[in-house]
Amino acid sequence: MNRKTVALAFAGASLIAITAAQAAEVTVWCWDPNFNVAIMKQAGEIYAKTHPDFKLNVVDFAKADLEQKLQTGLASGVADGMPDIVLIEDYGAQKYLQSFPDAFTPLSDKVDYSGFADYKVKLATLDGKVYSMPFDSGVAGLFYRKDMITAAGYTPADMQDLTWDKYVEIGKAVEAKTGKKMMGFDPNDGGLVRVLMQSAGGWYFDKDGKLSVEGNVALKGALDVIQKIQVNNIFRPAAGWADWVGSFTSGEVATVVTGVWITGTVKSQADQAGKWGVAPLPKLSVEGATHFSNLGGSSWYVLSGSKAKDESIDFLNEIYAKNIDFYQKILVDRGAVGSLLAARNGEAYKSNDAFFGGEPIWQNFSDWLAKVPSVNYGTFTNEVDSVVSAHQPDLAKGASVDDVIKAIDDQAKTLVQ
Amino acid sequence: MISYGFKQRIASVVVYIFLAVMAFLSIFPFLWMVIGATNTTSDIVKGKMTFGEAVVANATTFFTQVNAPLIFWNSAKITIIATVLTLLISSLAGYGFEIFSSRFREKLYTLMLLSLMIPFAALMIPLFMLMGKFGLINTHIAVVLPTVASAFIIFYFRQSTKAFPHELRDAARVDGLKEWQIFFLIYMPVMRSTYAAAFIIVFMTAWNSYLWPLIVLQSNETKTITLVISSLGSAYYPDYGVVMIGTVLATIPTLFVFFAMQRQFVEGMLGSVK
Repeated sequence: MNRKTVALAFAGASLIAITAAQAAEVTVWCWDPNFNVAIMKQAGEIYAKTHPDFKLNVVDFAKADLEQKLQTGLASGVADGMPDIVLIEDYGAQKYLQSFPDAFTPLSDKVDYSGFADYKVKLATLDGKVYSMPFDSGVAGLFYRKDMITAAGYTPADMQDLTWDKYVEIGKAVEAKTGKKMMGFDPNDGGLVRVLMQSAGGWYFDKDGKLSVEGNVALKGALDVIQKIQVNNIFRPAAGWADWVGSFTSGEVATVVTGVWITGTVKSQADQAGKWGVAPLPKLSVEGATHFSNLGGSSWYVLSGSKAKDESIDFLNEIYAKNIDFYQKILVDRGAVGSLLAARNGEAYKSNDAFFGGEPIWQNFSDWLAKVPSVNYGTFTNEVDSVVSAHQPDLAKGASVDDVIKAIDDQAKTLVQ
Repeated sequence: MISYGFKQRIASVVVYIFLAVMAFLSIFPFLWMVIGATNTTSDIVKGKMTFGEAVVANATTFFTQVNAPLIFWNSAKITIIATVLTLLISSLAGYGFEIFSSRFREKLYTLMLLSLMIPFAALMIPLFMLMGKFGLINTHIAVVLPTVASAFIIFYFRQSTKAFPHELRDAARVDGLKEWQIFFLIYMPVMRSTYAAAFIIVFMTAWNSYLWPLIVLQSNETKTITLVISSLGSAYYPDYGVVMIGTVLATIPTLFVFFAMQRQFVEGMLGSVK
């Protein structure tokens, strides 16, 4: 190739180069086009009404993709093309905060955290500083079919203050009377263990973030329940997420124990209107047990390398920490329950839902949200979770809970070190 | 006694059953994808295996959620540039390795082949830092550059060049052609089946490439179709019908290229010079 051709090739190369966006706009990375992406765009529109210069650029990637990009970007220290605001799932918050110190901006002196659910604030706290703008909550509840419970000889009033032992007993009665199972359960998914464990203020890690499996009363209580559900065969086995959702949308089970975000899916079956109720979670029979827990959820973080840091923080603060109307809008449009407690004073949160027989479900969820026990999600939640899910089937075969905990402990130690 | 003919017939029945099963296994995912594109998410999840009526609805959602012309243009641009550059540079290298000898040739060649054993994940962060230093993050040229000198394609061309007749080269030299003229005027036309096979391989790799574009592309405007499909599929409640439409559309170019060049591909794989 002669020099001219080389020069030409380079000219061609620079033609296809597109330079990164300018600093004045705020770039956000998040992952669900129908949920957090759409909600962030709504937030941007509201903020732009009072700040005409404000420009928001929401980029969506798959969640796993986003995490990969974020890690590569932070690990390589290249600030080019990194976003100003990023969404991180709560279970992974401490991993990012501890692995990449100084990569995120503490917001403690800018944001009034007293208005948010306590557990959402604690999970993003490191060395006394809070780093997140709390976003969607996974406050958990017991969704149940009133018709099936009544057929089994119980009343909705019986469902309000349950223990898990009582729940299993009702499950047997439901099957005897209606032939339906009590819940859909995927033995390869650790979600239920997480819900149960957090309801008693426990996690795979203690308050200092150290692995806590053996001697963890909340985990033992949770696995006890998992065993009872399986041994008494009151569950309809589910293979994967879609099948699990199918277990209740098709009317095959009497209850669903999960985060508030499932409400929209439950309501998608119009022919089941009026048949559903929502109660607080049943309680474990261990010390510190409550009726309240959480599954999933995520929060916004501002990167330290951001060139629009002040705009980003002000934007998050104005909308997510103060704007009650915004929370009504995202509840109605997207079924999103935020973590700002004052949101309950709005119109949408006060309305009663006919699908749930006129129950004030949003006021209830808001009550429970404030009481979710705070735990330390540590840096290896997903790793330990996969070990726990792998051992759930052993419980069905009648292995003792203590042996299973011992086995989980051995495996988890090798993963976490 | 069982006759020889009968035995043979049994054997061919067994072979056909085996082939039919294998053909089904290869075709089924495509069939499922096309059927999925015509159904609603809830039907897909229920495992419905017949064509539905949702194709227009799915396509409408896809084209409103995704800036399809831009995304396909991004993918096409990256693929075309990567394919042309890779074929040019890697075939030149493979040709050079085979034709010209030097003291370090085999050592260099081994070193290059060893690079095939380094997983991309290990190269990702250094490569990202390099692109950061060049100021190329979020550009399409950053996607293309690391792929143009492909160890596998160089290897493939060197192996194929072994079948390139010395007589042709010697004759060309006698006729006064310069080395670069021999490459462009004699080698390239003679080896066109090899190029065709390499074209398909490089084209598909570039069109389907995922991890590196994912790392280096940062905005909605630069994304490729693979990234867009991945993000469509990762919602809390993914709309699988839309994902399927996207996948069908993304498959069409590779199908087209493959069928258009199928004959040359097979020839190229068998060795092109007769």
